[in-house]
Amino acid sequence: MVVKAENYNRPGDKQLGVLFDGGKVRKRREWRGLKDTLYDYGRWLHIMSILAKFIAKPRNIKAMFRYRWMANYLATPHMIDKFTMGLRDEPLRIVHTSMDFVVYDVASTLDNIFRGDRRTGNDVEYSKKCVLSDENAMTAFMMGFPTVHAILREVPCMFVANLLTQYSSTHYLDVAQQAGIPGDVCPMPEAEAGTSIDDDFAVLGCCAVQVNTTCDGSLMGNGIIAKRLEREYGIPTFQLLAPMRHREEDVQKYAAEDMKKAIAFVEEHSGEKWDWTAYFESAKRVNDATRKRMAWLEINSTPYPQFVGAPFSLYNDTNYMGNCGRSKLFPPVDAKLLALAQQGYEAKRMMAPEYRHRCIVWGVQPQYCIDMLNWMVHCWGVVPLTDMLSMINTKMIAEEDTPENREQAYYDMAWLNENMIMRNRTHGGYKVLVSELWEFCDMMHADMVMLWEHMSCKALDGMHGQFEEQARERGIHLVWVCHDLCDPRVYTRQAIRNQFNDYMRTVMREEPLDPSIEILPDDNAW
Amino acid sequence: MKDLKHLLYFENLLQNADNELVQQAKSEGKICVAYVCENTPEPLMNLGNAFSVRLRAPRTDSMEISTYYMTSFLCEYTRALLERAIEGGFNFADGIIAPDGCTMINRCVENMELLHTMGEGNKKFFFSNMEIPLKDDDNGVELAILQCKNHILAPLHDSYGIDISDASIRKAVKEHNRVCELIRAIGEYRKGDKPRITGYEFHVLTLATYVAPKYLVIDKLEETLKELKTRKPENKEYRARVVLVGSEMDDSDFIKLIEDTGAYVCADRFCYGSLPGRDPIELNDDEDALTQVCRHYVHSCQCPRMMNMEKVYGRKQYVNDLAKEYGADGIIYEQVKFCDPWAYERTLGSTMLRDDFGYPVLSVDRPYSINSSVGQMRTRVQAFVESIEIKKLRGGAK
Repeated sequence: MVVKAENYNRPGDKQLGVLFDGGKVRKRREWRGLKDTLYDYGRWLHIMSILAKFIAKPRNIKAMFRYRWMANYLATPHMIDKFTMGLRDEPLRIVHTSMDFVVYDVASTLDNIFRGDRRTGNDVEYSKKCVLSDENAMTAFMMGFPTVHAILREVPCMFVANLLTQYSSTHYLDVAQQAGIPGDVCPMPEAEAGTSIDDDFAVLGCCAVQVNTTCDGSLMGNGIIAKRLEREYGIPTFQLLAPMRHREEDVQKYAAEDMKKAIAFVEEHSGEKWDWTAYFESAKRVNDATRKRMAWLEINSTPYPQFVGAPFSLYNDTNYMGNCGRSKLFPPVDAKLLALAQQGYEAKRMMAPEYRHRCIVWGVQPQYCIDMLNWMVHCWGVVPLTDMLSMINTKMIAEEDTPENREQAYYDMAWLNENMIMRNRTHGGYKVLVSELWEFCDMMHADMVMLWEHMSCKALDGMHGQFEEQARERGIHLVWVCHDLCDPRVYTRQAIRNQFNDYMRTVMREEPLDPSIEILPDDNAW
Repeated sequence: MKDLKHLLYFENLLQNADNELVQQAKSEGKICVAYVCENTPEPLMNLGNAFSVRLRAPRTDSMEISTYYMTSFLCEYTRALLERAIEGGFNFADGIIAPDGCTMINRCVENMELLHTMGEGNKKFFFSNMEIPLKDDDNGVELAILQCKNHILAPLHDSYGIDISDASIRKAVKEHNRVCELIRAIGEYRKGDKPRITGYEFHVLTLATYVAPKYLVIDKLEETLKELKTRKPENKEYRARVVLVGSEMDDSDFIKLIEDTGAYVCADRFCYGSLPGRDPIELNDDEDALTQVCRHYVHSCQCPRMMNMEKVYGRKQYVNDLAKEYGADGIIYEQVKFCDPWAYERTLGSTMLRDDFGYPVLSVDRPYSINSSVGQMRTRVQAFVESIEIKKLRGGAK
């Protein structure tokens, strides 16, 4: 199982710990050799140019002072640095290609939000062509509305903000709990509800479509947000349903019929008609993205995985769910990523001198410690082959415009909606969560599972004992790593890493590859 | 008030999941269908030779084993059920029907299945999971019909040869309605200044109708209703009349605790309560009974998982209507700790009932068994009751 790199002698290695200074890291001077350092610097300039273009607009400056969560975006370059730590060659380029595009996509989303926002840009005509959507929602219902903008309002406020800075959600969690929501629910929808209670969301759109996305908390948080949207801002809200038992044949019609209603709702409020041509073009792109994802996974199942870790997961999130085939910008990026991955595989590129364990990362990852997967490679030689959030739809949807396929399209959109990231595993019965994990272990030749135990995720927690017993039966090393998703006050980053460190030292009896990063002073970092 | 003649009998029925009436029905050769969520259409589990029993875990103590399997973050109701199942406490059941009403109940039943906790020695035993509607509309009714056919009627028929015809459903609805009518008629005595039944007593009677075969409790309910007609009410003023709203309530002691502070629980809007759980199902002859039963359950459902906005607002309006009808001074929103749906519902509900409808509201979470937290809860309820009294003394608004 152990794979060792030949002639592994790269500048800067085994000293990654020096990059952390105990405070808010402002500069990263990782020496990667001339070629890679120049490349990395060029990409840093690219990120800065995206930010500069964004901040050059007066409405966006205004938003910086109006919305508390906007300050988190100052840490954008640092987030990329965390993902590229210790990388060289193709893996470095893969992370930059994927994550830099995600940065561009989020910056565009923010720009669009503030353009229509009643408090900042206030472009009323633009706002009338915007539909608000949830953070964890498939935008499949927008695939046939090329002139209407799907605004995933919660993504930049909550989801991305917490990737950037670890304490971004704590204020909103406090607000939510002061309003009476208990502290034991999932902090993600709770923080979103808190943002709404705090009236700190941008206000725009002709209507909103909410989905019972990942969990009961998400479903219920929608009610609090929708009340404000409807009653204070006059933005009508549609609740699009996704059945729980999404693998069952006898729920598909139910989901498809509601999809039709959601589309009719958007037509009514945006004044735009559903465009089948645009839909099937989007469907082709959805299928293309699916094929690419499966190809990346195939490479990751070899001894030389290339596109791994949080960038793999975050890029898939953005492409699969937020984009859902609607943008023409993604396929070229997908193709470039595949080419890099193939090139890296052929050259047997490795991210660390040794891969000791092949690991599948399961469960819900902590937003505020999202770089841990990269850390696992460098510190312990544990390579994360894939994660739960990336094991999504593999079915091709209908992409030719025929009368039969127009009816099938509602079923396909509903299927995608049911199989949005996370919920396709956390709902639908234990087989999709537990049994299929072991199938993926076989498929990816994994000997280890790192199981994020998000302490408030009832769907995961409810299978705790089953995971443990079934892993033992199969001889798979199961490492529990507990966290609280987006509240570092409950589990600090080091407390999270320590669980992994303890397992590796006490159960696996191993020493770290790079001891300088076993403990990182990043409790006060961004 | 003088004790109700059958109160002790009903209380004893609640002491064990496998109570004497369940045992009696089983000894008569009947098929016991267990279920775990109020959204499961009850009459469909009471067809022909079958009778339904809502699973609960009375006198729950340690939940260590179920906590290992599901962690301490799942609600105590689900952990208590799993613990009891592991102990073998539900082996009287011949099948279980489990809607994905919430994530935790789903996980609870899945663990029961994976751990082979039920159906020992019964080859016909089945675990049946089903989808239930998330929205109150025609699409939801259609889903409910399909799911009930596939996941209730089919296993009952295929495993035990139960008659699932329209006539059989109508017969079951008739029996179901008789129980509902009796409970609702008994519940009417909660109205007015001098109620003839306490909230605690009413809860015991109502809960018994969920956990025992219906045909075996009807006679005693009829006697109780008759008794109430002449029962002399307490000659005292209650300090406050409250509607109790929230997640599933297995523990009559919680209501007793509220009433021990001098308050009166005049209406019950919680899972497995009578409002709307004991609304009779009105059938016509123009349409098949299954469709009408499903429509009734979808339309009357007050579960927070119902996500369409009409329902979100409607649930609060429903509580307001109850408070008016039953003359309530305040509302208590309760939630079993770690219950996600009710965590949010009680936040939004308590805010709206206070701000939009003007009621004093107490919002609390509670353990499955109140005995583990009596002192804290009593203090909170006492303070709430006093606050209502002070408002009354000052002549303020509700």
